[in-house]
Amino acid sequence: MEFNLPRQTHEIFATMARGNFISSNGTRDGMNRLYDIINNPENFDHLQDYFAQIRYRIERGNNFFYFSKIDEAPSLLEKKLETFEKYIDIIDLFASMDNKITIGSRFRPSEIAEECIANVRLKQKLQKIPLYRSETLSNKVREICDLMSRDSFLEKEDEESENYKVLDSYAYLLDIINAIAIYEDGSENGNAGLGIIYN
Amino acid sequence: MGLQINVRELITQLYVHRSTVEYLFGNRDSVTVNELMAQGEISDEQYKKLLQQEILYEYHTIVGLNDSVIAMFEDFMEIGEVTPGVIRDYISELRRYISYYKEAREMRFLRSIKKYLKRINIAITREIIKLQKNVDDTYKNESNYRIKIQKLEDYREKRDTIIDFINKSEEIIQEAKNIFSISADTELLGITNELKAGLIENLDYLIEIQTDITDYINKIQFQLDVYKKAQAIKEIKDRGELNYRTNFKQVVEAIDPIGFNAIRSPRTKISIEFLHTDEGHVICQRVAEKYKISRLMARRMADKLPGDFKHQRTEAFIKMDTATLVEKFLHQKKNLFEFLQEYKFPKALGELSFEERITLFVEVAMEYERVLDFRFTLNYHDYEIKGVKKRLGYTLILPNRTTKTKIKKN
Repeated sequence: MEFNLPRQTHEIFATMARGNFISSNGTRDGMNRLYDIINNPENFDHLQDYFAQIRYRIERGNNFFYFSKIDEAPSLLEKKLETFEKYIDIIDLFASMDNKITIGSRFRPSEIAEECIANVRLKQKLQKIPLYRSETLSNKVREICDLMSRDSFLEKEDEESENYKVLDSYAYLLDIINAIAIYEDGSENGNAGLGIIYN
Repeated sequence: MGLQINVRELITQLYVHRSTVEYLFGNRDSVTVNELMAQGEISDEQYKKLLQQEILYEYHTIVGLNDSVIAMFEDFMEIGEVTPGVIRDYISELRRYISYYKEAREMRFLRSIKKYLKRINIAITREIIKLQKNVDDTYKNESNYRIKIQKLEDYREKRDTIIDFINKSEEIIQEAKNIFSISADTELLGITNELKAGLIENLDYLIEIQTDITDYINKIQFQLDVYKKAQAIKEIKDRGELNYRTNFKQVVEAIDPIGFNAIRSPRTKISIEFLHTDEGHVICQRVAEKYKISRLMARRMADKLPGDFKHQRTEAFIKMDTATLVEKFLHQKKNLFEFLQEYKFPKALGELSFEERITLFVEVAMEYERVLDFRFTLNYHDYEIKGVKKRLGYTLILPNRTTKTKIKKN
């Protein structure tokens, strides 16, 4: 069977099979180049056919790609629930910053830490995120960034200055948030009842 | 007032201080006088001169290039802010010259008309490229979302302005059509046609940009909405109601990226054959170093092969072969000629021809003279080549009984 694959097929597989996302605005290890290659319609079809042989499917998001398994239905794992509960905490923190961190944002962990020190509400949010080894606030932010980078939602642009960039794959998390439905019960009168402070 | 400066002087100054100019262009609006001086590229006196010539400006201790210089660079590199004002100027100039030309059909007016038509075409294209780039950059890189939305709205306005200019340009061309055709100037005709085509094309681009901008604004709006929702969900979560008041569980269950479903990437073991190769050895060594396993470090890589290794190898092979051959010969009773004719050589050598065997006979006879018993009598060997009978005489050589054990070359 002739697949006519791009030269970077191995890199693409190696990245995505590790569970990582490939984002169009990622620059590390030529991620944006890989994105362009998958995004080429001809390549996409070839790659899709090829990976289907080993039961992987390329899923397309808004400016990002990832792998899912064809014959294995996603399941409800304890770990998965934990992970996403943590993500809710992190996204909530990002959403509550003065300078909301979202796709394409660049920031340094120290900036977040500083804002959290200055704002009691943020500080509390940060402190409550269940991570284990961090004591100081800035280390905690660093750990969050590490975690998000490992899951390929962030990218460390510069080792020395610790500059992070939010990748397009972050949209996946936002999509998840968007997909969650909140059941309204009569006793509460909308958001106001929840005591949310919007920035 | 700045000093009078001519083109040559300006170019010279820019060239002489090119590193300073580049530095200031690269760090617009952020370099202080002290920082510039610390660069060590420019002396106090030179700096003062540049200020006098108004190539540099200094305000509140911040140094910057003259805006005209920056604009020139930006224009050339098609970067920087979108400035539709330029096109407006061109259009009004064009109008002016057309009205002059209506009064007096003189070449000099026509020349200016052509110039502005061309400029309009180039300027509009350039502005659109800049616009596209800025829209993209703003969406991808502007970190503050409020400014981001504002900027995008601004670009939407600029886009409308450019569309307006395109329409105006088309109008002017339409109005001036008659006058242009009276002039019977083919060049003018070419330029107008080019401009018309350019305008249509550019309009298409602008429509695309509009879609982009709307798309981007919607995305940002979506993000903001999602963020509000995220805060709401977090609030519910903190109250321990996440699993009861939302469908969190179902949503999480349906999440399919392999990274979240404990589907590990397939792990392949390295093939043993590969480990025996030199590349494999390098990997072995790395592993050995990491885990301090001396056993894996024992095998070293082979030295580099000399360039003529092939040659050397074949030679050595034949020599070794003759030595064992002679050894074998010494342990039997046949004479050398017969022995060599009948000897079954290893398969690796292939089938040896009659001639090759004779060559070998001569070689052995000469090289191992000492261990051989030369009888100085001729024996004859009969053979046929292509039906012709031939006879070959050869010296009878027998194994030397006395030196059987020691083989030594002459």
